[in-house]
Amino acid sequence: MIEAHVERFMAMGTRVELHVFGACDPQALLLGRRAIEQVDDALTIHRPSPTVSLNEALAAGGAATIDDPTLLAALIETRAMMTLTEGLFDPTVRQGAPRRAWELDGARGRIAADGPLAFDFGGMGKGFALDCAAAALRETGVQSGLLSAGESSILTIGRHPTGEPWPIGVPHPFAPGEFLAEFDLADEALSVSSTVDASAPGRQPTLRGDDGSPVSAPCTAIAISARGSLAEALSTALMVASPGERARFADRDPSRLLCFRFDGCDAISLVQPGVRTCDA
Amino acid sequence: MPDNPFDLSRRLFLDRVAQAAALGSMAQLAPWAAASAAEPAGRERVRLGIIGTGDRGRALIQNILKTRNCAVAAICDDYAPHLDKARALLPAATPSFADHRAMLDAGGIDAVVIATPLHVHAAQTFDALSAGLHVWCEKAMARTIADCTAMVERSRAANRVLQIGHQRLFNPTYLNALARARAGEIGTITQVRASWHRNRDWRRAVPPGSDLERKLNWRLYRESSAGLMTELATHQIQVANWFFGALPTRVMGSGSICFWKDGREVYDHVALIYDYPGGRKLVYTSLLNNARYGCEEQIMGHKGSIEPELGRIYAEEPPRVPGLQQLRRDVAKGRRRTIPIGGATWFPELPVTTPGESLGWGEYDESMLQFEAFAEAVKTNTPAPGLLREAYHASVASLLGEQAMDQGQPAAWPAALAFAEPQTAG
Repeated sequence: MIEAHVERFMAMGTRVELHVFGACDPQALLLGRRAIEQVDDALTIHRPSPTVSLNEALAAGGAATIDDPTLLAALIETRAMMTLTEGLFDPTVRQGAPRRAWELDGARGRIAADGPLAFDFGGMGKGFALDCAAAALRETGVQSGLLSAGESSILTIGRHPTGEPWPIGVPHPFAPGEFLAEFDLADEALSVSSTVDASAPGRQPTLRGDDGSPVSAPCTAIAISARGSLAEALSTALMVASPGERARFADRDPSRLLCFRFDGCDAISLVQPGVRTCDA
Repeated sequence: MPDNPFDLSRRLFLDRVAQAAALGSMAQLAPWAAASAAEPAGRERVRLGIIGTGDRGRALIQNILKTRNCAVAAICDDYAPHLDKARALLPAATPSFADHRAMLDAGGIDAVVIATPLHVHAAQTFDALSAGLHVWCEKAMARTIADCTAMVERSRAANRVLQIGHQRLFNPTYLNALARARAGEIGTITQVRASWHRNRDWRRAVPPGSDLERKLNWRLYRESSAGLMTELATHQIQVANWFFGALPTRVMGSGSICFWKDGREVYDHVALIYDYPGGRKLVYTSLLNNARYGCEEQIMGHKGSIEPELGRIYAEEPPRVPGLQQLRRDVAKGRRRTIPIGGATWFPELPVTTPGESLGWGEYDESMLQFEAFAEAVKTNTPAPGLLREAYHASVASLLGEQAMDQGQPAAWPAALAFAEPQTAG
């Protein structure tokens, strides 16, 4: 019988489950949980946090120092992903105002903006948190695990206990019991972004990062990447991207990317660049 | 199954109290419960004279008849139809009276049970105490805070037991819930959201052509009642005080005659916030034109919630992800199947629909049990500890709530109204 360990808790505004298989340090799951809670504490904008303090400091533009290492790491990651997605993924809040330029000096922990600026890491926070949890778990020797933050962000550690990749099926939103797509994952993260059921309570509208225009048509984007934060940023960007932009992402990054729009119950693939099996 | 279903009720009560006691210091949380669980002192029954034989009075008589240690020795009501209905429940020889003073003068009783309109509770209590009798009185205690206080003071001066009807104090589900809350299962309790919603006019039929409207529908008129506050809210304020382990510091509220515009004087719709120390709150609503949410107290802590009327306790832990439960089952069997996961983000903002865990809900007869406790208190002339304090604070809080609504401004809890336990000799 293979050992199975689990930690379930609320964080990042959703439910988180950490599943680890095989022999496991008794403290491993607790360390994984702590890593996610630390990210939550740093990035939340729903209670006092370093991000809230930063947003208050940047409310009138200018410069601010970032003391919190988790927030600084998230900002460094954010800059990289904004570049990768040509600004379609953008965690800054517009609120109707022109998008402000901002510069980050990661080495000095300084940020400068040329106007009012605020960050909302909802578009990558869960993936970033799973990355931190996975690092903590791997450090304790975990070799097989599946981590979920709200079910839209999944991260796998190693392989399924059978020795094969993790078989993941993304449910079809309009066809109960059927999968929209199936993947094999190994040491990879998967993120799903969707405008299906966008009017449900708690859902934020999906906006293009460059001009703030909303995506109203029902569609679903899936990204599978080496890191959770990258997968989240890519699935978000994919949702709002034009066909040409999607193709450029695929050329630039080895992530597996899928995007569907829905015509009634039929899923129509818009782009499927770079789809490979995990063993390819 | 026992011949007498109330033996089952009692046994369930004792079992549940024992369960609750195992969780914590029940002697501290609800000392009267331990007293109720004890065997009766002696075999004699305490003789009760019932003042008020309306619907509630007759329900109490039926409960008293099921006790091990009480007897209905006399009945009294100044409304003949009610008295006639009560006679039908009792042996023909049971003395009956139209005036409570006549019943007191006739003797042959150890205590009175008062189930009359609120505004006469105090005067009837004073009369009974003056006659050397113990008093069990329906909640709320009295129409004014001053009368509530006077009832406590006079019972002490007379050295007689005064007990108020708050049956939740004898309900094992509540006792169990309290014990689990105090054991920390639902974490720090910051809010109790309580409601008592009904969808009926609260009127009683009045004989055509009579002048009995204010007598029979006393709950609808300010002279005789504070309406929803004294008739319903008292129960739930007591529960909030109990779970918070504190008294309100102030209350603010709004009341209106919103739906039943039929000449009544008391509000048919109330909404109040009671502040407790530390920023904790009781959020209370009661209305008479929608019963969807019924009667409940939702006791909310940072680790979970308790809904005692439903008899459920809920952990804050979210429901498990079905696809990952399947994964665990498959791994246990050495199987690999596609894991269905990866949809829209799960949000916790919708009401929890998970069933929670049972608190040992059952059909108890707490009204009967509180009379058994009263009888034991009468026999030993020793009030069940803590009961009067709970009732007094609940009655005062309900009347303060009425005051806040009437005046349209918050009402602070006067420090002088905190119940002081009597000093014991020795």
